[in-house]
Amino acid sequence: MTRPSPAAVRWLILIALLVFWELFPRTGLIPELFLPALSKVVAVLANDWRMYFTQLGVTLYEVAIAMLIACGFGILTGALVGGIALLRNLLLPVFSSLYAVPIVILYPIFTAWFGIGSQSKIIFAGIYGFFPVMLSTAAGIRTIDAQLLLAARSMGASLPQQITRVIIPASIPTVLTGLRLGGALTIIGVVVSEMLTSSAGIGYVVTFYRTILDSAHVFGGIVMILLLSILFDTFARAIERRTMVWQTAGRRQKEGEEPQVAGAPAPAPV
Amino acid sequence: MANVSKLSVVQDAPADAAVEVARLSHTYAGREGQVPALQDISITVGAGRFVVIVGPSGCGKTSLLMMMAGLRHQSSGMIHIQGRPIDAPDPDRVGVVFQEASLFPWLSALDNIEFPMAIRHAPKAERAKRANEMLNLVGLQGFGSRYPHELSGGMKQRVSIARGLVQDPPVLLMDEPFAALDEQTRMTMGHELLRIWSQTAKTVVFVTHSLTEAVYLADEVLVMSARPGRIIDRIAVPLARPRSYEMMGTETFAKLRDRIWQQIRKSE
Repeated sequence: MTRPSPAAVRWLILIALLVFWELFPRTGLIPELFLPALSKVVAVLANDWRMYFTQLGVTLYEVAIAMLIACGFGILTGALVGGIALLRNLLLPVFSSLYAVPIVILYPIFTAWFGIGSQSKIIFAGIYGFFPVMLSTAAGIRTIDAQLLLAARSMGASLPQQITRVIIPASIPTVLTGLRLGGALTIIGVVVSEMLTSSAGIGYVVTFYRTILDSAHVFGGIVMILLLSILFDTFARAIERRTMVWQTAGRRQKEGEEPQVAGAPAPAPV
Repeated sequence: MANVSKLSVVQDAPADAAVEVARLSHTYAGREGQVPALQDISITVGAGRFVVIVGPSGCGKTSLLMMMAGLRHQSSGMIHIQGRPIDAPDPDRVGVVFQEASLFPWLSALDNIEFPMAIRHAPKAERAKRANEMLNLVGLQGFGSRYPHELSGGMKQRVSIARGLVQDPPVLLMDEPFAALDEQTRMTMGHELLRIWSQTAKTVVFVTHSLTEAVYLADEVLVMSARPGRIIDRIAVPLARPRSYEMMGTETFAKLRDRIWQQIRKSE
């Protein structure tokens, strides 16, 4: 009578998908060009792992620098825009609308300016990831409970103390959510730009093998990108959970996951 | 309103006034010019006294309290705390307990209590010692490592009171601290507050809109009118201390409560 846990169901679905991926192409109902069997993709990855990892290295390098740019500038501008009313009224509407623009249309210009090497990818992905980081930082600072600042002032906190001891810790959860989103977007930005115009990187690998109709290698690249994204997301979530024990405790229980805080009531069985 | 002052039975204020508000008025810029918020308010609170300010919502009682805390500035008039004017927050003289506990959710109960001392770079050992004393004083032994979201509403306000007292200020200002609590917790907390008050000998100015709470807690109740807020009555509460729940059933209690209610109704 006991129902399987959500985690178990998630794993079951994943395994079912993998089995389907292996068996369905073997039935002949679908040409191998469209979907090569899982085992073939794995074989390709095992054979050409050196090439895949070299190219992944290029991508990782670009992602790392782009994330630094997106997070650094994003947090900085977000803090200024969120904290200073004049800047907020001036800039926030502009940034909010820019967020909706498909910035990928600018990429051809970037390749003209910065060449087709890593530089243009880093700048494009950096800008791509910048917006969610900046917007959520601004939101995080703007939505701080004014009562907390009043309380800190009543205890004699100076402005720098209010910033370091109240504003920063209070906005960390929102900022981290922005970093997770922005980080995901920089990965997308780098891969997309590699696919468009490039000579290296995992996105380039996918495009290259597509043009020579080598599906197994294309899927090999896709798998690498998938793993990269999942790895990043898992990592980002772990940091989020660590830093905002106080914030997630209430919400996580609603989601039916294990409570993060020792002593907090266990979630009711689903 | 003219005959209101005749009803006043204020006892002589002690010479050593802890809080003194003199001819304080406040106006703020509204959409249609200057709006008077507080009008000609004079209050004297003797050292060690428990004074409660009641009034209809929006009468400016919270604003008045924030001015006493040095968190807001009045348009005119003076506020002296412990004999000196106050124009900025001064944790050495004034501790503040807010509505809605306003604890920092990322800090444990003990860290919250230590916060005012941490801001002033007090030595760690001293902070911990003092915070633990306060935790015991408010009856939360063993809950020091809990985070605010792991505490009940009443416990949060206990932490908040401990935080207000940690620097041992002579004056404690409380802005509707129990307003968000349920009736039973509210009664218990009121009683607890009186116990803590009697153990620490602080001067307390307590703002509320609960008449029962006002009479139960106060040495003296100040009644404010609707906006612009004025003090329309000062009522000494002759009930003995320590107060007990049974007193709420007495005729004296009911009469005092009724008198406050009449004053507030008339002012609206």
